[in-house]
Amino acid sequence: MIRFDNASVVYPGGVRALTDLTLEIPDGQMMVIVGLSGAGKSTLIRAINGLVPLTSGDLTIDGVSVRHARPKQLREIRSKIGMIFQTFNLVKRTSVLNNVLMGRLHDAGTMRSVLGWYREQDVEIAMQALERVDIVEKAYVRASNLSGGQQQRVGIARALAQEPKIILADEPVASLDPPTSHVVMRDLQRINRDLGITTIVNLHFLDLAKVYGDRIIGMRQGGLVYDGPGSEADEHVFRDIYGRSLTADDVLGEPAAAPA
Amino acid sequence: MTAAPQALRTGRPTKPPRSLAVPIGMVAFLVITWLALSEEFGIGLDIGDLIEDAGRGVDIWAEFLEPNWAFVPQTFGPMLETFQMAVIAAFVGCAVALPISFLASRVTSPNLATYLADRGILSIVRAIPDILYALIFVAAVGIGPLAGMLALFFFNIGVVAKLLSETVDGVDTGPIEATRAAGGNRIQTTRWAVMPQILPNYVAYSLYTFELNIRASTVIGIVGAGGIGQLLNAQRAFFRYDNLAVIIFELFVFVFVIELFSIWVRRRLV
Repeated sequence: MIRFDNASVVYPGGVRALTDLTLEIPDGQMMVIVGLSGAGKSTLIRAINGLVPLTSGDLTIDGVSVRHARPKQLREIRSKIGMIFQTFNLVKRTSVLNNVLMGRLHDAGTMRSVLGWYREQDVEIAMQALERVDIVEKAYVRASNLSGGQQQRVGIARALAQEPKIILADEPVASLDPPTSHVVMRDLQRINRDLGITTIVNLHFLDLAKVYGDRIIGMRQGGLVYDGPGSEADEHVFRDIYGRSLTADDVLGEPAAAPA
Repeated sequence: MTAAPQALRTGRPTKPPRSLAVPIGMVAFLVITWLALSEEFGIGLDIGDLIEDAGRGVDIWAEFLEPNWAFVPQTFGPMLETFQMAVIAAFVGCAVALPISFLASRVTSPNLATYLADRGILSIVRAIPDILYALIFVAAVGIGPLAGMLALFFFNIGVVAKLLSETVDGVDTGPIEATRAAGGNRIQTTRWAVMPQILPNYVAYSLYTFELNIRASTVIGIVGAGGIGQLLNAQRAFFRYDNLAVIIFELFVFVFVIELFSIWVRRRLV
């Protein structure tokens, strides 16, 4: 379980990105965060794995404080949390497999990983992760030769290769076209359901949030303005979150295709 | 009926005033160049003298244009020595420069103190010119290729570490964030998120330093640091411009071949 306790983040320069947030995320939940740009969605996600440190309050994962973790502890915490990025953040000049093996670094030992002598079981875990997102045939292809959707699936495989308990996805479909967005969101949903991995996703398309979120939280100016099941998030709720009426720009507009 | 063109809406910004930095800089540069040329403050260059003196080298030029090809076999030994010095210094120098470069970039350096210390040492290493290194090592280990190799080694560290640390500064930080988020430590992050990005540049810089070494070996040879430079200095002392022409021609071919090779390597790597 992830617990925010009056958690706040003030960036150097005085911008308050997260204000006194108290929130519990139980194990195995698929939670979607919605809100405008600058509402604090990215900060919330990055606070969970300590990429953005809290400036007050606390945040615990299974009772262990992220804020007070020493560097080695923090790396241990991070090894159990996979992360997926809007711009994929792959190393484009190396192979897909090498990118996925980055998910094994935490367990590979420094010398071994520096020399690239990964253990057989680490390579096996990476291959299985690629199989789970259906892209294993690209294992030895350079990452730069893949399309955006394929790159994001490699990003998901890298997160899976960590064998994580939590997956954080920061705007995972914002750089993708609508059909590919649904493919990636369905991958995340499947991983959440099949493997029971707590999945936290930032989205700015409301229809996607409603389709894929078991739970939706709405953020505005660093605080929580909605917390409830996706099915109950209607027009009024979104008006609260966005501070204005919905427009066509707020939805992806393409219905999810029937699952194959 | 045509109306005067009208703005579609109000609120167009006014054009910001043009910065004077560029014209002022250009004028300052011209003034400094003129002062440097003038007789009172500078080297006192006179175009008339230049034209008058141009003819004085004609005899030397004539000798240069008739290279003594019979001298070629005598250059093989020193040329090979230069090649060996250049290869070893470039190889070891570039290997040592790699970790130094990582410590000299804010992206990969563990903390501010290490970064500043490393930068400081590097600027000292770079401030010493290659010929001064050669003088130091000739004094320390005696005349010969060992002194030359040591001089080139330090010279190479300075060049590669500067170029490479600036390359590291410019890498895409996305993969670094991803590797940190996956629980990787600093060394792993540098190896897997940074190294692949800088590899083509690293190879190019290494080949470039090798080429620099061939050229620098002519200068450091003059103070006794071995190789072709030592032979070149001896021939110059005997006014054997026909022999010098051979050495210069060989160096030209040498550097040209390295350049072709590095173009070929870079094309394969990028």
